[in-house]
Amino acid sequence: MAEAVHVISTRQYQGLGWVLDRLCKLLAILSGLTLLAMAFMSLRSIIGRAFFDAPLMGDFELVQFLCAGAVAMSLPYTHWISGHVIVDFFTAHAPARLNAVLDTLAHLLMAFFAGLISWRIWVGLVDLQGSFDASMLLEIPTWWAYVPLVPSFALLSFTALYRAFEKMKEVQS
Amino acid sequence: MSGIEWGGLMFVVLLLLLALRVHIGVAMLLTGTMGYSFVAGWDPLMSFFKNAAFARYSTYDLSVVPLFLLMGQFATNGGLSKALFQAGNAMIGHWRGGMAMAAVTSCAGFGAICGSSLATAATMGQVALPELKAHNYSERLSAAVIAAGGTLGILIPPSVPLVIYAIITEQNIAKMFLAAFVPGIIAAVGYMVVIGIIARVSPEDAPRGVRFSWAQRLTALGETWPVLLIFVVVIGGIYGGFFTPTEAASIGTVATAFVAWKSGGLRGEGLLKCLYGAAAGTGMIFLILLGADILNVFLALTQVNTELAKWVVSMDLSPLAVLFTIIAIYLVLGCVMDSLSMLLLTIPIFFPIIMGIDLWGMDPESKAIWFGILALMVVEIGLITPPVGMNVFIISSMTKDVPMKDIFRYIMPFLASDLLRILLIVFVPSVVLFVLKL
Repeated sequence: MAEAVHVISTRQYQGLGWVLDRLCKLLAILSGLTLLAMAFMSLRSIIGRAFFDAPLMGDFELVQFLCAGAVAMSLPYTHWISGHVIVDFFTAHAPARLNAVLDTLAHLLMAFFAGLISWRIWVGLVDLQGSFDASMLLEIPTWWAYVPLVPSFALLSFTALYRAFEKMKEVQS
Repeated sequence: MSGIEWGGLMFVVLLLLLALRVHIGVAMLLTGTMGYSFVAGWDPLMSFFKNAAFARYSTYDLSVVPLFLLMGQFATNGGLSKALFQAGNAMIGHWRGGMAMAAVTSCAGFGAICGSSLATAATMGQVALPELKAHNYSERLSAAVIAAGGTLGILIPPSVPLVIYAIITEQNIAKMFLAAFVPGIIAAVGYMVVIGIIARVSPEDAPRGVRFSWAQRLTALGETWPVLLIFVVVIGGIYGGFFTPTEAASIGTVATAFVAWKSGGLRGEGLLKCLYGAAAGTGMIFLILLGADILNVFLALTQVNTELAKWVVSMDLSPLAVLFTIIAIYLVLGCVMDSLSMLLLTIPIFFPIIMGIDLWGMDPESKAIWFGILALMVVEIGLITPPVGMNVFIISSMTKDVPMKDIFRYIMPFLASDLLRILLIVFVPSVVLFVLKL
């Protein structure tokens, strides 16, 4: 449902939820603006190539770096609005409480993997800093492109924990 | 345990996790991770995770996906759907069931600038449903028409699932898009024929509209020029080799953003809606892509998919029996899963099998392209079949008075036309392939 005509959620949060809500939305906006910037940059490159014989140097690698950031930054928001797909066919008629238990576990798994990936990307980033790996034309250090990924996956992990906690309360009530 | 046994076991675990409400991307991550660490050990897995996400998300060819999603959001907010519907209605609204047919043509037109079925159904639903109701079309027919017509969003290029199919099977995106074009038109015509038949069998569902003058028609058609221009530049540019798909999608994004801005669609919360919508679509797809990535590394390590393909080929079954088994599996899976997850999960397994059997003596490239279009059509059927036809859900949330049961009943004839089209493409692959030879 996530890709259909988007409705901005009006749900109000308190405390930690409010912070997560703001952060997820902020990253989602940054993600979209990055894509828009990428589109304008490609346009500039095409116009340069077609009319002035001056393509934008390194447009290819810029797209790669920007795209990785834009994609990663979209992940927490998607989870926040329950946009990551699940198969609910087999549990559609199960008791609500059982489903809440299963959802708690699902969110915890999401939190675990997002946390693991965030940590590993951080390690990869530090490794790359040591190796001076850089993009071919513009010589941008590759680890720069890893920077947006670490907080994005970390935030995904926190949102999943928050949702797991929410579901847990549902189980108890 | 051998690699094959691990592969089989993990697949069972994966299906179990999916049934237990684990997010599809996470279920793939978990089984891939478990399998990988059993087969190759923990350390290689940990170092794989250092670069996996960046490697996947920075794939140049994939950057076209979030761009198409953003483009679709701008198109949705740009008022183009209304122009398309009015043009269709001016041309054929006076036929029996003509206004519903116009809804189909406008879904097809919108599909030419939007790569998603749900967005097409939702956008066209907002525009066409109130108009159809005002002209005394029955709501159950209108709802069924738009739910079915929405599937054209994905068939007619640009199409996000086709891009992803092309990338995982290493096919040329331009050729895939071109090959999807004729089947997309056939689909639209098929739906229109169905409406024509319904309008004759039960005229109370689909009355005639008013006839427009040619001057009115030309004005209405003129309003749709941005759609035509964007489509020609984006798809023509990709096919003519003027730009890479990413560059073409960039042009399309900027152009649709401009149209949306001109029409006032970005005022107030409009721009935010577009950005959020694109983020939601992107996040959904790329979490699954990351999961599929590690699952595929594990499959490659165990060779389970190539072994399975070898085994199927060595059984010397009739190729058509194999093909129809695959189609049947897709139809069943489509009842419970979304199309993209299904493709990502099954293509690594089915694709080597298809490539291994002889179908009408097609060469490998033709076969890969043809199977991509066929698989796309089959998985799309899941969008309009019970129990979880997402297109029907979306439309049914807009037409609150009609029970879902009634919509599904009216979907049946459209489903029949889908199945006929699938048979046509199975038995006459040149329907898909002839454009590539022009």
